[in-house]
Amino acid sequence: MRIPILKLHEYLLISVQVDLDDQTAMQFQEDLLSKIHESGATGVVLDLTSVDIIDSFIAKVLGDVVSMADLMGAKVVFTGIQPAVSMTLIDIGIHLQDVPTALDLEQGLIKLRRELEEK
Amino acid sequence: MEKRLKNIILEHSDEIIKKWLEKLDQSKIAEYGETISQESIEQTNREFVNVIFSNIESDGGTDDLHEFSEKIVNLGWPLGYLTEGMQAFRSVTIKVILEDIGETNSNDEFLSIMEGVNDWVDPIKNRLINEYSHNWTNIVSLQKVALQELSAPLIPVMEGITVMPLVGTIDTDRAKLIMENLLNGVIKNHAEVVLIDITGVPVVDTMVAHHIIQAAEAVRLVGSQCILVGIRPEIAQTIVNLGIDLRNFPTKSSLQKGFRTALEMTGAKVVSESESEGDEIENILNSIEKE
Amino acid sequence: MKGTLSNVPIAKELDIVGARQTGRNIANDLGFSSVDQARIATAISELARNIYLYAKKGEITFQQVEGVAPVGLKIIAKDNGPGIKDISKSMIDGYSTSGGLGAGLPGVKRLMDDFDIMSSDEGTTIHVIKWLR
Repeated sequence: MRIPILKLHEYLLISVQVDLDDQTAMQFQEDLLSKIHESGATGVVLDLTSVDIIDSFIAKVLGDVVSMADLMGAKVVFTGIQPAVSMTLIDIGIHLQDVPTALDLEQGLIKLRRELEEK
Repeated sequence: MEKRLKNIILEHSDEIIKKWLEKLDQSKIAEYGETISQESIEQTNREFVNVIFSNIESDGGTDDLHEFSEKIVNLGWPLGYLTEGMQAFRSVTIKVILEDIGETNSNDEFLSIMEGVNDWVDPIKNRLINEYSHNWTNIVSLQKVALQELSAPLIPVMEGITVMPLVGTIDTDRAKLIMENLLNGVIKNHAEVVLIDITGVPVVDTMVAHHIIQAAEAVRLVGSQCILVGIRPEIAQTIVNLGIDLRNFPTKSSLQKGFRTALEMTGAKVVSESESEGDEIENILNSIEKE
Repeated sequence: MKGTLSNVPIAKELDIVGARQTGRNIANDLGFSSVDQARIATAISELARNIYLYAKKGEITFQQVEGVAPVGLKIIAKDNGPGIKDISKSMIDGYSTSGGLGAGLPGVKRLMDDFDIMSSDEGTTIHVIKWLR
């Protein structure tokens, strides 16, 4: 299973619609990085509204993607993390401190623009 | 044997009731609450004894036990009223029965009377106690629900800004509830900024601070931001003395200041009308001066 | 009251997803809130992954239990793998022998109410319970 990555101007948009298993998450990490490479995107919005489980492994894969994309010059914003998922992450001690977040796709794009302008 | 005892009790019901009421008057019911009027005590006592007798007549199985214990709970009278009442009934009844059948020297007969009376009194007493504690548990769980509803209200102040005032002690259970309300409210109200007002929290120790920090972190994950407001001087002191690190999210002493910060964060600000008028007048004055 | 509700063998990576979905459905049926469902599902995910990573094969068992609360969900993760060499170390945040976040076992402990672990060179068994409140 592969997660579709959409391009909008200089941004990449991803809406995860499936229950993330390890293989899908790893594949996504690879796909996103090569998409950033070929498109030269400067910002990425990863919408997690439909994801209802993030365990420590998935959290690590997603957190790593943010750092990796950052190295390639693309800023990643997570949007739509569900309350239940957020509480569970806090419980297991994963704070994703370096990852910018926003309520939804729209806010995510605004945040991206703001962060990129600051640079 | 049992039939005989029952008949004696029913025959002498007036006498038993009279003695029982006297005995109850002597006991400490009046101490249960100074606000209870003598009248209501007498009325309740009479109701009590009626309940006991109706149960003896019908060999138990009436609903009035349930109603009566519910009444006692609602009146706020202690369980001791019921147990003392039943004990008094037991001793009065035994005395009356012994007087009726005349002096007896037979231990066996005495024992069988005791047993016979106990066989009636104990089930009634047990049922009363069970009903009482059942009612009590009901009240406690209802209050718990009521308290939970009070626990963590979320107030949308304006677009993108929501306030959550916290009042009272925060324990682990409440902290979980607060966090759930907070996060669901953030999503529901589409809040970009949440002000958590701890003015009403009496003590902020490491535990409470830990819960607040976790809530703030969780709020950040769903894509919003927290401002902690209402930090009184003594709370600022304990936070620093305990070495609690709150640097990761903004804190303000009052809701007003926090609200101003929240406005800035959402890209709005308060503009005073009179101030802008003042500017206009100044502009006019300036232009006059130039002429 | 005590009864096994389901048994999910773990042998391949996709079984992790299967186990947590089964767990979530059971938690839902028992009346757990959506937040607790997420906690339970995440804990199962961690336990199942540990089995897959370290023992290759094992199974996750779901039981309904009663105790401090009338209803509880007990999850037993059992494998016949090499066992955990240093249990106390495995319970420290950030400790990992697999390159993960090291949040697995201590995370599971925080997500659930009761946590019990037994490990020897013949395998590892972890019991966790979440009580319905």
